[in-house]
Amino acid sequence: MGELDSGRLQDPEYMAQQIAACETEIQKGIIGQREIIRQTMLAMLTGGNVLLEGMPGLGKTRLVSTIGKVFDLSFKRIQFTPDLMPSDVTGTNIIIKNEQGSAFSFERGPIFANLILADEINRATPKTQSALLEAMQEHTVTVGNDSHALEEPFFVLATQNPIENEGTYPLPEAQLDRFMFKILVRFPTKEELRGIVGLTEGTQAPVIEKKMDGRGLLAARELVGQIPIADAVMDYLLGIVMETHAANPHIREGASPRAAQALIRASRAKAFLEGRFNVSFQDVAEMSYPVLRHRIIPSFDAISEGIAEDDIIRAILEANGKV
Amino acid sequence: MDKKEFLKAVQACRRKMNIALFMEKTVSALSIGAAAGILFQAAAFFVPLYYAGLYAGLALFFAFLTAALISVVKRISMEQAALRMDSFGFEERIVTAHENLMKDGTLIALQRADAMRQLKAHGDRIKVPLFPEGKRLIVLVGLAVVLTGLAILPSKTKEYAKELHSLREEIKEKEDEVEEVVDALEQLAQEELTPEQQAEIQDMMESLQNSLSAYHQASSEEMAQAASEKLNYKYENIHTQLSAMAQSMQNSASVSGATVESMETMAQKLREMSGQELAAGNGSGKGQNGQNGKSGSGGESDGQGDGNGNGDGSGRGDGSGNGDGSGQGDGNGNGQGDGSGNGDGKGQGRGTGSSSNQHDYVSIPNAIADIGNLTGNAVDHDASAYFYAQNGLSWEGTHMSHEAVIGSYEQNAYEGIAAGKYPSGMEDIIKEYFSNFN
Repeated sequence: MGELDSGRLQDPEYMAQQIAACETEIQKGIIGQREIIRQTMLAMLTGGNVLLEGMPGLGKTRLVSTIGKVFDLSFKRIQFTPDLMPSDVTGTNIIIKNEQGSAFSFERGPIFANLILADEINRATPKTQSALLEAMQEHTVTVGNDSHALEEPFFVLATQNPIENEGTYPLPEAQLDRFMFKILVRFPTKEELRGIVGLTEGTQAPVIEKKMDGRGLLAARELVGQIPIADAVMDYLLGIVMETHAANPHIREGASPRAAQALIRASRAKAFLEGRFNVSFQDVAEMSYPVLRHRIIPSFDAISEGIAEDDIIRAILEANGKV
Repeated sequence: MDKKEFLKAVQACRRKMNIALFMEKTVSALSIGAAAGILFQAAAFFVPLYYAGLYAGLALFFAFLTAALISVVKRISMEQAALRMDSFGFEERIVTAHENLMKDGTLIALQRADAMRQLKAHGDRIKVPLFPEGKRLIVLVGLAVVLTGLAILPSKTKEYAKELHSLREEIKEKEDEVEEVVDALEQLAQEELTPEQQAEIQDMMESLQNSLSAYHQASSEEMAQAASEKLNYKYENIHTQLSAMAQSMQNSASVSGATVESMETMAQKLREMSGQELAAGNGSGKGQNGQNGKSGSGGESDGQGDGNGNGDGSGRGDGSGNGDGSGQGDGNGNGQGDGSGNGDGKGQGRGTGSSSNQHDYVSIPNAIADIGNLTGNAVDHDASAYFYAQNGLSWEGTHMSHEAVIGSYEQNAYEGIAAGKYPSGMEDIIKEYFSNFN
């Protein structure tokens, strides 16, 4: 498949095919982790950010760099550490001397890129973490009195290690809510691991081709927003979100309205990625896990009984029927 | 496939779903109705329930009606039909297309086209079963078989229920008849009559109304027949009284001819009614006259007597006829037996006591229990003791209401008359005696 035909950016069928081709191209560079790739693609299609939770060395950086190549987007990686300052992320005003004298000039931080990998985000202090908030939500960065717009498309992919919690600053709920998906990165199977080793330690690295650009991604995003949802499906979707607020002994706090918005967008993007122009119950059910798992706070009973967020979501889905 | 065809496909599915819904609700409702019917039919084996069949039928009918009503109220909408179609692997394409059928837009048009394409390609997947699952049908058939079996199976209680029902019908007829007569008598009680005559007619009316209580207490054919004879006697009595009254008024200037005439007509009517009753009552009795011959034995308790009777009856409704002689007859029809005989009766009796205070019931002490129709513990009669209860002194034993006691005696008396147990000429005296209680 060649370059993106800029004359067909409004053609839904063509764009759906292109996005599907991007997914296939990314899979050339990442062995296994199909679910991660799929959900990352979905987040990109809806303009959302992703929080990846998993052990180090599972190919997160490779994933983001591959996505950058396929979509022809600029990519920056920020390693979050306790001594990382907000200005290290956003950039800062510096004094520059020239012929006219000295003047402040804004030096852009690493956040000024299309794709940001915020590695081990929970190791930075809340102050630095919150520096990401504005960028993630508003796609702008304010330093001093000046706001600087980030280049579109803008996408943050943050990671956190679920095991090493010492010296970490867990993300507050408000910040978690800004992530569209929380994706659990699981260890690959033996076959996948064989593929990964072969790919990375072999002599021939795969050639990743550019399949789309930022303009195309934005056009696809616009099309995704137009996908119709039947009333019955919308009722089902809202019912699931409302169920997180119903009397449930395993839930301390339910999902926010932003969760419903994210679920709608994610379900639409999933349908689009599958070349379908309507949302199904199955789309909603499948998207409920990455959308809701970081937005519901389990009760003490659930934690003590070892019931995870996914178990709670599964129970809600089963209670709602349909799928 | 165009929009019209698409709608037609959804409509077809909807129709099938509505039929399936109706069938499902009907099977469920009929199962419940049949279960209720079984309960009625089963109850008819233990308690007299004449209308058990009707109730079972009504239960089924209302069950069916409810099913039809629910099917109408909960009828399937086009959206529900589209959703059902989607459940056959169309991933909500059809419901989305149906909802946006009249809307425009690139994606909406694409989605619609996709849905129609899918429906055309895989429409054969959609299968809506019209009938509920076999298990439920088997349950319904089983219940229907049990219900029919119970309805067909005879039982003594069912027979008794039938008897009781015909008895009630008869009572109802009598009530209407008496009501009619009372109304007619009421019309007679005009200003032209003297206060004494009006009071006399009033008494007649009350007497007739009171006679209905005997019907209400009747729990068997015999009791009803006795009550019927009692009523006939009253008719005859009132006929006599009215005739006499009409005769006395004929020469009175203050009474119009019309009043006298209507009174005579009334009297005649009552006579006819009385005659009909007699004919009807005796006509049904087999060997009635022959039994009358036994009236000669007339002695109460230990008395002896021979009676003669002749049992030829005519079966017409004129209420006349005599029976003399001995023998038994299988006669259809009317007749009265005059028997003669002597009876030396000896007997012993214990009184049922009552104090000056008015009791709500009659005490039957144990000492006289098991004698005749009285029940109680005669063996242990020495243990009878009295105590104070209700409004006065009571004896340990059975307690009956005054009405029940009088009703019981009265019934026995009329049964005795019907069986010809009493000497000739005593019947009217007995009847008059008991009519005074009412």
